[in-house]
Amino acid sequence: MKAEKSNYYLQEVDRIINECYSNQIQIDMAVAAKRYIDQNFEQDINLDLLAHIGFASKCHLLRIFKRYHGITPRQYLIHKRISEAKKQLQKGASVSNACYAVGFNSLNSFSILFKKKTGKSPSSYRKAIFDK
Amino acid sequence: MRVTVVSIPVRDQAKALEFYTEKLGFVKKLDIPISEDSRWLTVVSKYEQDGPEVLLEPAPNHFEPAKVYQDALFNAGIPCTQFDVDNVEEEYERLTNLGVEFSMPPKDVGTVKVAVFNDTCNNYIQLVEQK
Repeated sequence: MKAEKSNYYLQEVDRIINECYSNQIQIDMAVAAKRYIDQNFEQDINLDLLAHIGFASKCHLLRIFKRYHGITPRQYLIHKRISEAKKQLQKGASVSNACYAVGFNSLNSFSILFKKKTGKSPSSYRKAIFDK
Repeated sequence: MRVTVVSIPVRDQAKALEFYTEKLGFVKKLDIPISEDSRWLTVVSKYEQDGPEVLLEPAPNHFEPAKVYQDALFNAGIPCTQFDVDNVEEEYERLTNLGVEFSMPPKDVGTVKVAVFNDTCNNYIQLVEQK
């Protein structure tokens, strides 16, 4: 591998690593919690469960997650579920099937969140795909 | 408002199109002549062809400050933009084998892994993998 030729950006990356990402235990905890959500988004996930898995208090886990990912675990879970629901709708799933498949247990709250995050209701989103 | 286009400054649109399609794997979307030597030329990710378009914009040829800004970013090694990939190491291997030069090989930066390459159009581009 060729030696890196230093420049301003490479120096900045090293500075950021040293100043912001020096605590590997916290980084591992934040990454593990996010991966758990990615792999189990359709389950009933809450902060108690994530804290239990991460061997941390709820407060600590919440703080670490927000610190490293920029959003709370709850916000990330919603983002992940909506993103997966879009994939389900693109594959032809009905709105109710998509809703329950990604872990929502209320069609009403799913529809409200979906519209808030994508700008379209689930049924309009589905219709737009199949009208193309 | 929606994000539909992000622009990357280039001085030779034909050369840029070749690099972004043949090396990076983007797909040409729009190619509309707008003057004798300029086109509205966009490419999209082959995985999200309805997603945001990357405009290969010849601004440095027509607007001196754009050229100065592009040169300043390049000389400092600062990426012009970044693209997400599933696996930075694999993209690094693939692109290196195609002759693409990296200013920064894959590096762990907290919760992401990043690498930076030269797009041969006077820009650096950062690849990002979420861990």
